[in-house]
Amino acid sequence: MSWKKVFSKFLLFDLFKGLQVTFKQQVPSEIITEQYPKVRPVVSERFRGAPRLNLDPDTGETLCIACNLCALACPENCIEVGWENREVVAHGRPGQKRKVLTTFLFDTSRCLFCNLCAEACPTNCLELTQDFELASYTRKSFIWDREMLEHGREIVKYKR
Amino acid sequence: MRFIFFALLKPMAKTFALFTPDWFIDLASSAISAETVAQYRSLIDYVIWPLVQIALMLFIVATLVAYLVYAERKVSAFIQARLGPMRVGPWGLLQPLADLIKLISKEDIVPDKADKFIFPVAPMISVIAGFTVLSVLPFGPSWLHISDVNIGLLFVFAFSSVGVLGIIMAGWSSNSKYPLLGGLRSSAQMVSYEVGMGLAIVGALMFTKTLSMVGIINQQLQSGVWNIVYQPLGFFIFFTCGLAETNRTPFDLPEGESELVGGFHTEYSGFRWSLFFLAEYTAMLVVSAVATTLYLGGWHLWGVTAPLWGMGPLVDPQTSPNLYAVVGLLIFAAKTAPLIYVFMWFRWTFPRYRYDQLMDLGWKWLTPAALANIVLTGTIYLVVKEFLGPLDDPANLGAKIAMSLAMLLVATPIVFALLALINRRTAGYDIAEQRRRQVMARAERQARIVAAEVK
Repeated sequence: MSWKKVFSKFLLFDLFKGLQVTFKQQVPSEIITEQYPKVRPVVSERFRGAPRLNLDPDTGETLCIACNLCALACPENCIEVGWENREVVAHGRPGQKRKVLTTFLFDTSRCLFCNLCAEACPTNCLELTQDFELASYTRKSFIWDREMLEHGREIVKYKR
Repeated sequence: MRFIFFALLKPMAKTFALFTPDWFIDLASSAISAETVAQYRSLIDYVIWPLVQIALMLFIVATLVAYLVYAERKVSAFIQARLGPMRVGPWGLLQPLADLIKLISKEDIVPDKADKFIFPVAPMISVIAGFTVLSVLPFGPSWLHISDVNIGLLFVFAFSSVGVLGIIMAGWSSNSKYPLLGGLRSSAQMVSYEVGMGLAIVGALMFTKTLSMVGIINQQLQSGVWNIVYQPLGFFIFFTCGLAETNRTPFDLPEGESELVGGFHTEYSGFRWSLFFLAEYTAMLVVSAVATTLYLGGWHLWGVTAPLWGMGPLVDPQTSPNLYAVVGLLIFAAKTAPLIYVFMWFRWTFPRYRYDQLMDLGWKWLTPAALANIVLTGTIYLVVKEFLGPLDDPANLGAKIAMSLAMLLVATPIVFALLALINRRTAGYDIAEQRRRQVMARAERQARIVAAEVK
């Protein structure tokens, strides 16, 4: 054994090195635990969570033109768009027949949050938001209808 | 009744109890009447005041131990970059209370095939042995310690050994394989480390010349030096053996959560289990307090309770005895707390020893080191006394410096050399080396068999 090794053995250098490592860990600013229900975690910028159907901010009507592109793009087939042809007054020209959105079903239990639907959307109507609290008690409630998609789910606030 | 009190209880109480502090007498006088108090003064001195002291001590220590659990959880959390208990009260400060309520309200399970008498008794023995030791610990000056027995240190060691009995009984009476293994390991471990611990303090006792806890503290005040300066090696051995005595990591083989499912307390639940927990943390407190008393000067700190460089003490024991007592208690706590923190720090740093490593460390490293420490301390003490005068003299600075330097620069290398000599064959045995040797031995055996067949 070399002298260095003998020294480190008898003066317990290895043990002190270990103690040093654990002691340095105790920096309060480096704690990574989040106090979740009290403090909301910061999700990353490109995180994709709950879907949403955007409304026109001026008129309050839906931006969806019922083109069905999102349903076609979806690899899981979890989107179902329902429409009917109706005469609508649009751009001051009366009497034009158009596709109008009636129902929109989005199955969040099957969704893999790949964002292909949002990319396919020509009007930036469908969007995957940063909301991550998607858990629910029943399978049925994972299927979001148009009302939920447009106005968000009813969120039960955490109370003490 | 009167006869029993005066013939038996009074002389007994005289040896154990201290005198009642003035503030207690004043309080009693104002609460009842001065005449009654004067009439029953001896009863108050020998029975009532000690009982009050004991009740206070038990309450404070039990609370303290509960908060040690909280501290342990916090320390472990911070070391692992977590937050620890946060929900009950601000920063989780009421967590011990919640734990207590939970533990008391849990079902008390006694296994079908357990020994119905020993099983409930075992945790009680552990806890009683732990709490009995508190009666001689010098937490603070004058009325803050319950008694000053002239064999205080011996008493501490005797009772901390009894605590092990509880663990062994728990292991045996559970009638289950994991507790039994835990109990077996515990008994072997205690026997090995008690020796090293007992021998380690002998070196310090050469300087204190007394076993009384208060006497030890006063000696360090008079000589002007903490014993750790003279006994760095002794302190190290004492502390390591203390870790093993209290079943703390890296010597927690009796408990062995990951291999023995909790060891001796596997079959215990609810309140009985919490008694074991209480005993463990009390033992930790006791070892730290004894180390503080023996090596770190107890409740004295120069400049605060003792004169420093000609200046008078900040708190004078003659003029303000009560303040002096409380300040002493705080200083004692301030010295004990870092040691307890080191206990916790070790727990979350070091992995558990293997059983053979444990025995190796106990018998082949710590015990010889403690023995060598005794011989060297005695020799150096005599040499220093011969050439530089007595160490007890506070003015004799040269002898003190020579003694401490000799212990550090002469005695420690000699002890290390001796240990290297004793362990020269096995010192380098790590697991890879052991495998290599196993393989070599097997090959040798095979060769021998082949040779015999050829013959």
